[in-house]
Order: sequence, then structure tokens, then C-alpha cells
Amino acid sequence: MGKPLIELEGVTVRKAKGFPLEGIRLEVSHGEFVGIIGPNGAGKTTLLNVIAGFERFEGTLHLFGRRESWKRSRETRLRIGYVPQTLPIDPAFPILASEAVMTGAVGRLGPFRSPGKEEREKATALMEMMRVAHLADRPLGQLSGGERQKVSLARAILQEPDILLMDEPTAALDIAVQREVLSLVNELHRREAMTFLFVTHDFTMVPAAMRRAVLLDQGRIIFDGDVATAVSSETLSGLFRYPIEIFTRNGRRYVSYD
Amino acid sequence: MTEPLIDALAYPPIQRAAIACVLCGASCSLLSVFVVLMRMPLIGVSMSHAAFAGAVLGMLLDVNPFLSGLVLCLLTAGALGPLSDRTDMAPENVLAILFSLLMGLAFLGMGILTRTKAGALSLMWGSLLSLSRMDIWVLAAITLLLVLFIILFFKEIRSVLFNRRLAASSGIPERPIYYALLFLTGAVVSSNLATVGGLLIFALLVQPGATALQLTYDLRTFFIISMASGIGACVLGLIASYLFDLPSGAAVVLMATIIFAAAYVFSPKRRRAKLQKGNLSHENDSR
Repeated sequence: MGKPLIELEGVTVRKAKGFPLEGIRLEVSHGEFVGIIGPNGAGKTTLLNVIAGFERFEGTLHLFGRRESWKRSRETRLRIGYVPQTLPIDPAFPILASEAVMTGAVGRLGPFRSPGKEEREKATALMEMMRVAHLADRPLGQLSGGERQKVSLARAILQEPDILLMDEPTAALDIAVQREVLSLVNELHRREAMTFLFVTHDFTMVPAAMRRAVLLDQGRIIFDGDVATAVSSETLSGLFRYPIEIFTRNGRRYVSYD
Repeated sequence: MTEPLIDALAYPPIQRAAIACVLCGASCSLLSVFVVLMRMPLIGVSMSHAAFAGAVLGMLLDVNPFLSGLVLCLLTAGALGPLSDRTDMAPENVLAILFSLLMGLAFLGMGILTRTKAGALSLMWGSLLSLSRMDIWVLAAITLLLVLFIILFFKEIRSVLFNRRLAASSGIPERPIYYALLFLTGAVVSSNLATVGGLLIFALLVQPGATALQLTYDLRTFFIISMASGIGACVLGLIASYLFDLPSGAAVVLMATIIFAAAYVFSPKRRRAKLQKGNLSHENDSR
């Protein structure tokens, strides 16, 4: 295995109220699908923000083998895609779904270059893959939360990043749409040679492609290993400070809590 | 009714006022697209007060009021960007604090000003008929700069307006675009002090954009509608002020409000949203 794509050593984030992250050590290699799981306030989004370049931090961070501060060069930013929890937008805002997807290519194209036929075809193919091609000419603000999230995924992939950061992308969706978005994320991981970091507080809603889980609690990593071991009654009850029971029936795992 | 207007256009001060009206309408309404879509109406208020305070201070120090207004506007823009980016405060709060500071400075200057306050007051309301040739050239140059900025960086501007954070994360120079916008706001506002004045300019920095928001989902058309309604408000306001002997600044602002009200009442977007809502409740009822 080559050099890790993402390397954090002793990363700490200080805020007036305390330490959202403290002494984080994490290595992620090319092509991995890593879940960052923890309760609210565990520091999951802060960790993602440190990697994305939205948060000042202490300690060392290496991305693509190069040491980085919180300020990022355009080249580094281009290699990191980001999918937020929701895409809040005024229903009257003047942008169509296809135009929102195309904003993913703007940074890569650079100034004074308009998206050509090739970019438009790529955007259409991604919208088809995300099953939102029929909504291309609809104003983005008029789409449902699930449809907007699929547009957001297509936008991030059009950027052609090496790392895709997803910050609770299914948290605001109903169960059926969550399942659909997760299956699209699985498909993306199968088709694109990318490294995925998927933040969630809902351990019952993780993509099948996720093999490694990093459990965060109060700004510290308390577990880093395979998902099967992480999703155990003991680990999860401790992490969420609530009795959670995991049991297996006919080869499928079930979660039970009051 | 048109004859006296045509006759009036033969006089250079009226010609200059007409040209200034078009330029003022165009520059303010283009900026209003940003003000409305970024939901930062306080930017307009703060900048107009910065320009006003700067001009009053200029009068105190015997410096060209346009230059001193421009300098304070640019300083405000320079402080606003980093302050709203670097502190834990919401940009609206940073703007509100800057706004009160600038208002305090302006009134302090007015209080100290020993000469007649008529000059300072004209900066509040504007004085279209006393514009010099130089005023027009400065206004034209700044309007042209703004138009070029929008044309050359249209796709980056669309991305930043859509979502600043996503724009930054995907390698778009979001901060330079945002800061350039703040500086251009400062330049447009200070160069328009003499046309509509530091107080009334706020209306032109919001209403044309709010009008376009009622009418289109296409950003290019949005800029065009906003500009047309801004120029329309300025020109029609000037005509009304000439014909009915009204203060020109007030007539322009009232005209902008009438145009907005008409767009709101006949908004196809609102009708479409209502229709969709109706269909949705009908679907839910029939379930």
C-alpha cells in the first residue's frame, strides 16, 4: 500500500467552549470508504471541516503526501469534493438543477473558460446516474430534499475529486430516500476510483461499501477498525450512552433500542 | 407633455442628469442582484453610510467629498470581508456594528461642520442638476468596471451566489470574488452620492433585485430585468420629478417601489408556487 492520502497527527481544534477535536491521529489510504460515526457534538463535522480546509487546527495534516494548513491551494481544493448535510436554497433562487450540477466543474475549468460540450455530457451522465436527469430544467429550490441531495452528489462528482467528504448526507431525508441515496453512494464507490469519508450519527444507515468505521466521542477517536466490529452492542451502547442491542437473524443484523 | 421634456434635454445640466440617471440605475441595480441573492441588504446601508460619512469628513478636511467617500467605502469593504470571515459573528451583526459606527461618524462630522450644512445635506438626498462632467465620467467608468466583472466572471459569480462554502470547497476563488464585490459596492455607492444621495441609494440597491426575483429563474435574465427596472425607475422618476416638480431622489425611489409592487402582483413565479401548493394539497386530500 502506498502513502496514505489523508494523514492527521495530533490534530486539535480549540473553541471558546472547549475542544471539539483533541489529539486526532488518522490515516486513510486511496480507495478506502471510511465511516466517521458518533453522537451529536462528537466532533465528526469538525473533523471533516479540518480535512476540507474550513477549520483552523493545531497539529499536522498531510493531504496527498503534502503538509497542509487550514488554508488550501486551489489545486488541493480541486482534489477534495464536499457534500453537505442539506442544500438550503430559497425556492425563488435563479438556478436550475443542471446549472447547480455544473457549478462542480467551475473550479476545475478555471477563469475565462466556459463549460463545453464534454462538460455538459459529463453532467448529464452524472444526473442520469443519480436519477435526476428528468429534473435538469427545474429550479433547484423547487426540488425535494432527496432530489437536491442527489444533485449535490452529482455536483461533487463532476468536480472529479480524489477524496469525497460527505457530511451526514442522508440525515434530513425519510427512510425510503435515505436507502436510495445510500445505494447511489455504493454505486459511486464501485464506479469511481475515489476515497470516501462518510460522516453519520445514524449507525443503522450506512452504505454497504463502508468497510472501516472510526468512532468519535467528545472529540477523540475511541475505535478505528472494521464496521462489523464497530457495530456491536457493547461499543455502540458505550458510544451513545444508551442501551443498544444488536442481534443477527437469518444472516441479517438487527438493531434494537427502546 | 413631451415637448417641455425635449426642450429641457437641450440644456447640459439636464443632459448630464439624464445620463447620470441611466448610469446610476444600471450600476445600483446590477449590485442589487448580489445584495438580494446573498441576502445582505445591510451591505447597501453600511456602504451608503460609509460614503456619506467619508464625504462629510472630506468637507471638514477640505478634501474632494467623492474621494474621501470612496476611501471610507473601500476601507469599510476591506474591513467587512475579513471581519465577517474571521470572527464567530454573523456577517449581519458585523454589518450592523459597522453601520452604527459610520452613522455616528457622519453625524459627528455634520455637528462639527461649521460651514453651511447644505452641501452635506445634498449628499444625503443627491443633487442631479449640479453634476459635473467629471462626475459623469467617474460614474461611467465604475459602471463599466462592474459590467465587465459580471461578464468575465459570470460562472464563478453564479457558483458563489449559489453557495459560498461549496464554491470555496470546489476550488473557485470565492474570497477574491466576494471581496471584489464589496469593493465594487463601495465604488458604486460613493460615485452615486451626488445622484440619488447616501440615504435613498439603499432603495436602488435592493428593489431592482427584488423585482427580478419575482420574475425569472435564469440568472442572466435576472441581471437584465434588474438593470431594466433600475434604469426604468431612475428615468421615470426623473421625468416625474421634472413634470410635477418633485424632489428627484424621492421620485426615483417611489418609482422603484411601484415597479417592484407590479412585479410582485403579476409574478409568474408566485403564481406557479401557488399552483404547485394547490396541486399538492389536492393530492394529499385525495389520498
